[in-house]
Amino acid sequence: PPEIRAAARARTHSGPAPVTDVAKLCVCDLLVAQCDVNCCCDPDCSAADFSLFTTCSVPIVTGDSRLCSQKAAIYSLDVEANPPERKFKLIDQVNPSVFCIHATNYKQALYFSSPEMPISENFDQLLKQFGSASFSAEPDSWNMNTDAQNPSDVNETYRYEYGVPIQTVDAFLRLPSPFFPGFLVNQATKCTRSVSVEKCANIQAVSMLFYINSSILAVNITVQSIVVQSLNGMRTLLNGSNVLRLPLIVDELCINTVLGVSYHITYTDAGEIIEAAASFVLGAINKEVLSIQQSFEISFTQVNTKPVPLSGNPGYVVGLPIRAGFRPQGYPFPVEILFAALVLNTNKYSQLTILQSTSNQDCLAAQGTRTPILFGYNMISGCKLRITAGMKCQPLTQTLLDLLKGQSFPEYVASFGNSQAQNVLDWVPITHLHTSEQRIYNAFQSSCQIPVSLEIEVKWTKYGSLLNPQARIVNVTARITTTTAKRLPSGRERTIPITSSVVFTDISSPAEPGYKAWPTINAKLPFDFFFPFV
Amino acid sequence: LSSVPLQILFYVNGIYYIFYFLVTLAMIVYKSQVFSYPDDFLAPDLAWLFIMAILEVLRLYLGSKGNLTEEEAPLGLSLVITVGSVILSVYFLVWQTYVLKADVIINAVLLFTYGLESVLKVIAIAAFVS
Repeated sequence: PPEIRAAARARTHSGPAPVTDVAKLCVCDLLVAQCDVNCCCDPDCSAADFSLFTTCSVPIVTGDSRLCSQKAAIYSLDVEANPPERKFKLIDQVNPSVFCIHATNYKQALYFSSPEMPISENFDQLLKQFGSASFSAEPDSWNMNTDAQNPSDVNETYRYEYGVPIQTVDAFLRLPSPFFPGFLVNQATKCTRSVSVEKCANIQAVSMLFYINSSILAVNITVQSIVVQSLNGMRTLLNGSNVLRLPLIVDELCINTVLGVSYHITYTDAGEIIEAAASFVLGAINKEVLSIQQSFEISFTQVNTKPVPLSGNPGYVVGLPIRAGFRPQGYPFPVEILFAALVLNTNKYSQLTILQSTSNQDCLAAQGTRTPILFGYNMISGCKLRITAGMKCQPLTQTLLDLLKGQSFPEYVASFGNSQAQNVLDWVPITHLHTSEQRIYNAFQSSCQIPVSLEIEVKWTKYGSLLNPQARIVNVTARITTTTAKRLPSGRERTIPITSSVVFTDISSPAEPGYKAWPTINAKLPFDFFFPFV
Repeated sequence: LSSVPLQILFYVNGIYYIFYFLVTLAMIVYKSQVFSYPDDFLAPDLAWLFIMAILEVLRLYLGSKGNLTEEEAPLGLSLVITVGSVILSVYFLVWQTYVLKADVIINAVLLFTYGLESVLKVIAIAAFVS
């Protein structure tokens, strides 16, 4: 019958009525039908339970304290009594302020509003509002945003500053993230998009054209590379001309749908964008796929430099590799090196590295695996060297040196995490020291000295303000310790442990407070103050 | 003869009403900042306050003129308008969206003033008619 249906509708339209009786409200009553510890308002607790409490976690329960007069339930433990008992008092709390609320005629004024319960009438509207992947409305067209600031008069050479959104011909470059990609801010985001094979040609955002259509001011976006991902996930790089591939429906599959875009923007050191390239990952959708995940990335490179990942900006960040490099041969020291660049090792495994211990602890069998030295992480590693009678000294020494130092041990280490190769003064030379393990001067110094340990000590200091100190490397010392390898009688062999270690020492001097200058009274008498007399 | 107490009361009423109007307006602004005061509750409250101000000006002018010229017609009209003012004052005392303690105090004083004025007006009308 319609009355029952209407009543049922009304009942399910709102949630359960909120509890407003102060005496019945208990915030700490979390366990159902069990006594919560130190919860004096819990109705499940008996007098015996109360006698075991130490304090009341909820001493008072009141309504809105802005009301002129309201009920308050006060719970306290009387520890003087034996056994301790709980006291409950219901009082009227009075707000003495003259601006307390005497009465209100607006029902929802002092309560949170209950959300709508979905029923058949409002389900569609609620689904439209809350049913997509994110609640905020996706912008209808990405490379256009009419709400953003109007692009000001654009001339051909527009200089950007860090964080400023990048302008395209009529609006700003956008990625599906809450923020505009700012200049020099490398970003990577992912989003999920619902697609279907039938409509894939119509959805703009899965087509390559959409992403290279706009040009960043005078610079067209070129296609750098295309990687095709097959249905089973295998990716192949397409050779040949990077031609535009639009989505097509072939055999119930939609191919050439964009699964990932990576923008690479090249800028000069004056802040102008001179080149923009996009690399795509294209994939195929079949009938069962309801949504695809697209990933977007944008990265900035300065012109004529190779992109080297920074280890901090400017101070080193703990856990990032130490940047190191060589000075190329033939450059005189140091004044003329204004234009010379330090050759940076972009491959992090040939930077400052340390021997990596393997499960097979034999030094000579080690494949030469090395691990990069990360700032702030002291490391120690080693292996065991087995010396047999037949080993010659000089080759052994050379092998051990290669093992300890690696193939290309750098000469310079960057003092800041973002030191540029052009600024030679930002780079710290590595000091090499040799010590010998022998304490007593041995007359048989002509015997073989083999290096057994390499200790790299990196001294760093905190630089900059006290609130945001930046780590700066001041000094790097590589100490090689050698020991005498006595000639062994044939048939015998000896095992020597070889170690290498890295230690980071903080040599920061204590912070000096910098106080502002005392304010001075700048009172000058007028020029002719003592007129008649001067 | 014109009623002197009534005239004094009109004068005091005028000054008090200016104070009342400014305080009520300030409190509505305060309430709209501190509490949740949606527009469809704020608009009627402000509207009634301004209507009340207009009625008050009219009422005091007519009452004062009637008293000084010893005519009962403007005084009677003023009495009728007083009824409207009383209803509005009761609105601000009881039916406003948020009634603060300060609202209760100033409206109570205003109602008391209206009551006293009405009594004196009736006496004055009786005196002028006869």
